[in-house]
Amino acid sequence: MAEYSRLASGKVLSVGGDTVVTVPFLPDYIEVSNATAAQAASGVTRAWWNKNMGQGAAFRNLYGTGEQYIDVLNGSIGSTAGLTDGTGFKTIQAGLSLQYGPAYYHLSVATADFSISSAANAVVDTVTDHGLVSGNVVIFSNLYQTASTGMQQLAGIPFEVTVVTSKQFTICWDTTGSNYTAFDSSTSLNNAGSFKQVLYPALYVPGSSYICDITLGATTTVETTAPHNFVVGQEVAFRIPSMAGIIPPVWGPSELNSLPNVLIPGSPIYGYVVSVTDRNTVVVNIDSTTYGAWNNNFPFLSFVGKTHPQIVAVGDVNTGGWPISAGSDLYPSPLVYDGFSTGARRTINGPAIQGAYINNTFMGFVIGSGVAGSADDVLFWRAYMSDKNYP
Amino acid sequence: MSITTSGNLGPMILQSLAPAMLYVPTPTMNYITVCDKVSMPANGGTTMRFMRPRALQPPTIQLGNSGIDPPAQVPQRDIIDAQMAFFGTGCIINEQVILQDQEGVLAWVSERLAVAMRQAEDLILRDYVVSAASVINAGGGSNSDNPTNLGLSDFSLVATTLDTNNAYKFMSGIEGMDRFGTGPIRSSYFMLSSTELQTDFDSLVGQGVFNNWNYPTNSSSLPSEWGSVYNLRILTSSEAPVARGASANGQDVYYNTVCGKQALTHINQDGFSMNLIYRDPYYSGMLAQNATLAVKFAQAQAITQDTAIRNLISTRLSAISGP
Repeated sequence: MAEYSRLASGKVLSVGGDTVVTVPFLPDYIEVSNATAAQAASGVTRAWWNKNMGQGAAFRNLYGTGEQYIDVLNGSIGSTAGLTDGTGFKTIQAGLSLQYGPAYYHLSVATADFSISSAANAVVDTVTDHGLVSGNVVIFSNLYQTASTGMQQLAGIPFEVTVVTSKQFTICWDTTGSNYTAFDSSTSLNNAGSFKQVLYPALYVPGSSYICDITLGATTTVETTAPHNFVVGQEVAFRIPSMAGIIPPVWGPSELNSLPNVLIPGSPIYGYVVSVTDRNTVVVNIDSTTYGAWNNNFPFLSFVGKTHPQIVAVGDVNTGGWPISAGSDLYPSPLVYDGFSTGARRTINGPAIQGAYINNTFMGFVIGSGVAGSADDVLFWRAYMSDKNYP
Repeated sequence: MSITTSGNLGPMILQSLAPAMLYVPTPTMNYITVCDKVSMPANGGTTMRFMRPRALQPPTIQLGNSGIDPPAQVPQRDIIDAQMAFFGTGCIINEQVILQDQEGVLAWVSERLAVAMRQAEDLILRDYVVSAASVINAGGGSNSDNPTNLGLSDFSLVATTLDTNNAYKFMSGIEGMDRFGTGPIRSSYFMLSSTELQTDFDSLVGQGVFNNWNYPTNSSSLPSEWGSVYNLRILTSSEAPVARGASANGQDVYYNTVCGKQALTHINQDGFSMNLIYRDPYYSGMLAQNATLAVKFAQAQAITQDTAIRNLISTRLSAISGP
């Protein structure tokens, strides 16, 4: 009789790359059947993994070809020709923040390099596959094209990526300003530029988000560099630093700052979210018609020690929990955009007031890009944790 | 002559277990230290709610002699919600281990579980603060990074920010005494930092930075307290948050959480703050072979005064290499 084993099964839509499944244990056996691929008689129809194969490994069945093997990174067996090590299954424990994936930089793998061009939403091109899916969050470092030019102004900020192709993605940052110089890691100073994925960017929400654009008006529309996880009724504060001596002022509408308050000295000025446009854009009920315009164009060398503008959750005025939806519980858990895709996933905790501070830690497994099929493929999965595993 | 040596008559039992266990390296847990503590009542739902009245506008306009009342004000309040979450971990121990091992397995595993629980409590608070508190990048250092290493102006700036926000300090000052090498200590907020930054703090001693051994009296110094600078008293821990290689120049970024009173609130569940659960093997399978030891607790957390907390993020002097 199985006493300590755990069994779980379910269905998930592939995101076309690393696809997360939350289960309340760490499985030692996982299998996935891809109904979409089977129906189309093309692609990976089934894949499975045993803990003893190692993180990132998998067997898979490619329609018309048969069984293939994906080994762990730099494994002793090696992957079937044409497959990439480490793109199989992984178990995850998303319990601590500030964890990052491997850095992508000049020759981080053979022929690797990347460039960032000037665009309203900066375009990042990579020479080899970047391995990201839309909704992942990355940060950049060392964007020195020369000692005094480049894009260090955006370094250190977490950005959600929108994947255009397997070798191109965009981020929410306007790099068309005169102070931004196109960056290319292959020709840059010391070839030192890099980016890496922020693995768990939303373990606790709502929180503080960096701002990439503000549209002024009777209400104020704020775009954030990564998902804000705010809801309608969220009470928010702004932190808009100023930079002396730069005209037009950077970052712009410092009047949004919660303090100082001219009318009631000492009393913070807060706004309320009246509309959530999408996971990166909210509308706040502050009339900013007369405020200074947003500006992120500041001299390259001024990046040193500069605080970036932020919008911060400070409370809410909501009284109810999250609304039900087709297939949800009657009292559903909060939805969180957690950096794994462009979709929101429910927390594993129970119901909460909308806008409350919530915990989004979880564990489970990742169906890697080598076995996840294409975006929106229907995957049926089973996961086991055995009473006993013999290594 | 035959000499009997330990080669042919060795001790039947080769080893003796030293009488005391060795210590387990454990980080200091500072976040819980600065928290307000609130208990969520049982049968009280899933979410703790806090209310803070807003200030009313001071009536600075004179009434004049019209006899007409000025416009009435509408009182407002801010509401902060935090959802309770539950945590736990445990061990399944076969009865043969308990029966045969010479040391008290259940005793020290219980102790480890308790420490793991307390550490989880602090790590949850730590990561929550990393995500929820707004950030000030250090800019007063000399390493040309973003953020820079900590400069004296950064300590001053963050304390000034909290003062301007009317935050409440934790500690009253320490009056100066006639003792060599000491100086008065200002009333202070707490700054929770990484032990890895102590090299940077050491390099600033004598420039407004005091080690706690330079306090006139260190009777109020906390066990994890490194020292003081301006209006900040610095508590260090090896588990303070560090974003490895995340600065503009690719260096480690340290989260120095500076806070005043009531900035951060820890919420426990009434009657559920910590449960150590032992289940006799009797409750396992048919042959009652396995005991279990586990801890379970509930916790929520909230920034209850966003004006009284900032993450002063910094790198450190590049000339100093890490451990």
